[in-house]
Amino acid sequence: MSAAPHSAGVPADACAPGTPLYGEILGFLYREAALLDNNEYGAWIELCAEDIHYVMPVRTTQVRARGPGFEQVSFFDENIHSLRTRVARLETGSAWAETPPSRTRHFLTNVLVQAGERPDEFAVAANFLVTRTRAEQAYQMFAGRREDLLRRVAPSEYRIARRRILVDQTVITSTNLSVLF
Amino acid sequence: MANERISGKASQPGMRLASGEDLEQIVRPAEGLISRRIFADPEVYERELEQIFGRAWFFIGHESEIPERGDIVARQCGVDPVIMVRDQAGVVRAFLNSCRHRGMRLCRADRDHATALRCPYHGWTYSTSGELLAASSEHHYGPGELDKAQLGLIPVARLGSYRGLVFGSWDPAAPSLEEWLGDMRWYLDIIFGRTGEIEFVGVPQIWDVECSWKFATDNFTDNFHVYWTHQSLVELGMLPSDPDFASHGHMVTLDNGHILHFVQGPPMEAFQGLGLPKSLWPRFAEHLSPAQARIAQAHGYSAGTMWPNFHWLQLVTAGDTKSEPVGILNLRLEVPLSPTRTRMYSWFAIDKAAPADYRKTSYETYVRCFGPSGIFDQDDMENWEECTAAARGPAAKRYALHHKMGLARPTDATWAGPGIAYADSYGEMTQRAWYAEWLRRMRQPAHAPTAVQRPRVTAAS
Repeated sequence: MSAAPHSAGVPADACAPGTPLYGEILGFLYREAALLDNNEYGAWIELCAEDIHYVMPVRTTQVRARGPGFEQVSFFDENIHSLRTRVARLETGSAWAETPPSRTRHFLTNVLVQAGERPDEFAVAANFLVTRTRAEQAYQMFAGRREDLLRRVAPSEYRIARRRILVDQTVITSTNLSVLF
Repeated sequence: MANERISGKASQPGMRLASGEDLEQIVRPAEGLISRRIFADPEVYERELEQIFGRAWFFIGHESEIPERGDIVARQCGVDPVIMVRDQAGVVRAFLNSCRHRGMRLCRADRDHATALRCPYHGWTYSTSGELLAASSEHHYGPGELDKAQLGLIPVARLGSYRGLVFGSWDPAAPSLEEWLGDMRWYLDIIFGRTGEIEFVGVPQIWDVECSWKFATDNFTDNFHVYWTHQSLVELGMLPSDPDFASHGHMVTLDNGHILHFVQGPPMEAFQGLGLPKSLWPRFAEHLSPAQARIAQAHGYSAGTMWPNFHWLQLVTAGDTKSEPVGILNLRLEVPLSPTRTRMYSWFAIDKAAPADYRKTSYETYVRCFGPSGIFDQDDMENWEECTAAARGPAAKRYALHHKMGLARPTDATWAGPGIAYADSYGEMTQRAWYAEWLRRMRQPAHAPTAVQRPRVTAAS
């Protein structure tokens, strides 16, 4: 996310922590996370915009001078059709990686909101911790930063137009990535 | 002597397990009986480290991953960490990723670019071709104490490359790469040479799975799991609804444990020519023999294993329910971390001659279908973990797994390629060939320790 807010949108102080707009966006993020944790994927996919780009780049360890190590190759590189296919698959009852389903918690903190390039769009960054356990397994954990572009479609109603999932791990220490972020 | 390999073990490990059994009593490939014990047992795993991971040939990386002089990637050869580097003369080399002084890890990034490698511990510095250029405080060493010519980086004992695939072995007495690959080269030419050159795109996806490495290797030559394991995709209409759909093809077993399949897809143009765009099909005749070109043209899917743990998957699938099927070339490697934990590597590769739109669609479809998030792969890893978990107990270890499908299957002499071929892609002939090589390797007498006088720097190309 760029450091300077775009002047075309809402003034920076209108989306600072404590403002009504900030609270509205936080409420949206919490409702969205609850849908994922409750396995309500059918309702979750309705929050994705038709033009969504949902991506989780592979990360590598690099020396400091070469930057944070986010690569061109990704773990997820999704559009609305592939996300709908993922959701439809989970609902077949024969997607064994999630049948029986994982139990997840999506924790979001350090939320920062900036105005987007359009007046109805907001760049929203957050730290995430996603915990997952299946059957009798120990917890698997994913931590990182999420960079979203949220589009306001009605008062208190948003759609996810872009989600970049910047995971901290270079080696995913999890059976698979059958959960969504 | 500076380069002596140190071994505290007897040179002959013996053929028997601590229980008194010989492995050939519990692993009987000719009968299709493979003991569950070999999938979770620490004693078997320790022997695998010496007999297989210390001696066989292993995939390290592809030359296209280090295109420039000074490019480095950190990988492993077998289970030992190595760096693969293109040196200042352009030669691909591989060394143990460990300083000769205290053994500190030398390259601590996953990939890097450097003209020299300096150890962070005491500053010992090596050239990209492995020579020790400088140690620290050299004037404090007395005469003969620091023989720099003998203290180059420890090279992978044998290094070779075929079609850009770089392999290494820690056994100085291993057969040459060409001998070890043998007739597999004929098939590698089809997969990696059909339109000219193949390039690996970017870095691999890497993830750790709580499973025996052998359940993953077993799966990559198993076609009849596709209908049931990936049942969700059958239900979504992304796979055919006929349970025998992936059986229409050939499987082949070769010397040294190499195994492969070529399978016809549904009768659609998208499933011909290995799923490649039609514009590339004329290249088959330019780059392959007539027999090889006919095989490339007539098949959609192919899976092959370069024994023991490196695989190609040539597939045709859509990435979602709205899209058309497209060809994908996926390369896979399993590196064991313990008897029951395995590090998975997955690369995307593509024909250099591929048009830009195909390149983009093929890549996106790969990410959506394969690797840890893949709508195919997710369910495979679930199987491998659960099979491993159920193999741990003393009761389970008394029982064999069932690998008997096709014990009496006749061979097909009409197959145009080398090897023993079967005109069916459902059967456990390739798995049995894999386990037969495993058993042969595990029961081989150990070599006496070899003292290497000078690091043998072997060029890959």
